[in-house]
Amino acid sequence: MTNQTNVKLRLSNSELWGGLIGLALGGFVIWSGVKLKLGTINDPGSGYVLFYTGILMCVFAGTIIVSALTDGAPTLASRWENVRWSKPLLLIGCLVAFSIALEPLGFLLSSIPLMLLLLRLIDPVRWTLAIPIAVLAPSGMWWVLKRLLLIQLPSGLFGIG
Amino acid sequence: MDTLINVAHGFGVALLPVNLLYCFIGVFIGTLVGVLPGIGPISAMSLLLPVTLSGTPESGIIMMAGIYYGSMYGGSTTSILVNIPGEAASVVTCIDGHQMAKQGRAGPALGISAFGSFIAGTFALIALMLVAPKLASVAIAFGPAEYFSLMVLGLVVLTFLTQGSMPKALLMACIGVVLGLIGLDSITAQPRLTFGRMELIDGIGLVPVVMGLFGVAEVLLNTEQAIKRDIINTRITHLLPTKEDWKASAGPVGRGTILGFFLGILPGGGAVVASFASYALEKRLSKTPERFGHGAIEGVAGPESANNAAAGGAFIPLMTLGIPPNVVMALLLGAFVIHGLQPGPLLITQNPGLFWGIVASMYIGNVMLLVLNLPLIGMWVQLLKLPYNILFPLIILFTILGVYCSSNNVFDVYVMIAFGIAGYFMRKLGYEPAPLVLAFVLGPMMENNLRKSLILSQGDLWTFVQRPISAVCLIFALVLLIAPLLPSLRKKRELVALDEGA
Repeated sequence: MTNQTNVKLRLSNSELWGGLIGLALGGFVIWSGVKLKLGTINDPGSGYVLFYTGILMCVFAGTIIVSALTDGAPTLASRWENVRWSKPLLLIGCLVAFSIALEPLGFLLSSIPLMLLLLRLIDPVRWTLAIPIAVLAPSGMWWVLKRLLLIQLPSGLFGIG
Repeated sequence: MDTLINVAHGFGVALLPVNLLYCFIGVFIGTLVGVLPGIGPISAMSLLLPVTLSGTPESGIIMMAGIYYGSMYGGSTTSILVNIPGEAASVVTCIDGHQMAKQGRAGPALGISAFGSFIAGTFALIALMLVAPKLASVAIAFGPAEYFSLMVLGLVVLTFLTQGSMPKALLMACIGVVLGLIGLDSITAQPRLTFGRMELIDGIGLVPVVMGLFGVAEVLLNTEQAIKRDIINTRITHLLPTKEDWKASAGPVGRGTILGFFLGILPGGGAVVASFASYALEKRLSKTPERFGHGAIEGVAGPESANNAAAGGAFIPLMTLGIPPNVVMALLLGAFVIHGLQPGPLLITQNPGLFWGIVASMYIGNVMLLVLNLPLIGMWVQLLKLPYNILFPLIILFTILGVYCSSNNVFDVYVMIAFGIAGYFMRKLGYEPAPLVLAFVLGPMMENNLRKSLILSQGDLWTFVQRPISAVCLIFALVLLIAPLLPSLRKKRELVALDEGA
């Protein structure tokens, strides 16, 4: 690993960030445990296990941070080196948009555009193939679930589906 | 004699037409997901978990089990022909299997992999039939302290065997425990970490967590690189191995079977560990280790037998103790729970039809797999030609539908997408999801047993050390926790550490 991709005391140190997130989560879990009441060792309360799990999380996160600062770690950017980082980003965008649209638009009106976007944006499939797949796959699944298995899928504000 | 009567009873259940159909569907889907890179048994089982609701518990669990051991068979096809492992347990088969295929020996490689898998699967079943009832009778004496310590051991073994740094794996396990505790406290009925959302009162579902971390995150990772497939285009002939092939493979199949079975039983172990361990063992025992990596049939026979034997062995802790030793078994536990059943020491006596029916169906499934994998190899090869850019949108669609159908709740789809995105970043930063998922399942059980044992012992922590089984488990867990601090043991750990979740 080169000096540029393996860093110690820098904000781009990826392990440091992982450790800090773990530490923050651990702190939150400890706080939640205390809030839920620890109880006593004879009669542990609802927060007992959470509290001690939070402490363990902080210990492990602390170990990760110490190791990141002493041994160094790859930079955040190097984790996405030589890969098509924009593709998963696009896919995440599509999934977030789908999750926002699912309830108001319903299953069919949200999943057909999702399929079309996935087929065209990531590794483009030709239109003549993408359109039939995008329409037929969700419609077919919708028909099987609704008609054969009697499972109600979200129909949205327009009542389609 | 009792065992024979029970086996006959089991075959009576397994040979019912509906169970035969579910068994066939299970092994067919298992082979399919094993063959297709990018979707593994974990994703397929979580996708089909809701389907198990529609039939009897026997049918549903027979199908789920079929998917698991079916994927072990199917995974080898992709490894040998395309050099891409269909699922994690077949990673090691790529090394010599694909080399054999390149040398025009794809047939014998596929053949020995199928026969080795069949032999190992059969052995594992016979051992399961003999070991499980005995272990179940011992397990009745287990108290909460033993259960708690066994679960701690299972989690520590899995974190020990997970790729990457151990603190990361342990942090993941802790996060899993916390996620598993979301919802109402089973003792005080107090809501925990629900943030005032009604959807979280019953906790987070296993299906959206697994589908997100293994299904969606896997697709996100796969889209980073265009998957190149180097499919062997020559006609596949001579599937039946020759006398020389059998001679070379007999030892590796036998050793792989025994090693795989015992590694499968261990909590935290599983098919992936078994296949790597078998490969290392065969290479070490070989008089010509330099052939390994260049098309040695032993490098296919051993690991393929080991991963199938491990798949069979993994049923023992689940069926006898109610403790899933790995993520796949955690999903199977989910299938039991859906039907209101609790696997454990009493399952065999209270539901003999279910237990022996599942065991018998696994034998029938193994025969079905032999038929599916050898004569139908051409069909699986055609399927491998399905481009990933068409496959992954369909996987996404199936995961969305699978998650929605498991609870009829849009919230679970959001949870799955959130875990998918989190899982992608976790993998990028070197945090493996397998310990998280196992801890997610074991977390509530661990908490329950810990609190029970503390209440019963009136807060005396020595109860965990005074009980021999509990003490042994905790000592072993402690040794594994300390081991990575010693340089020589750290090196050994890195050699066996695996990406269980891939």
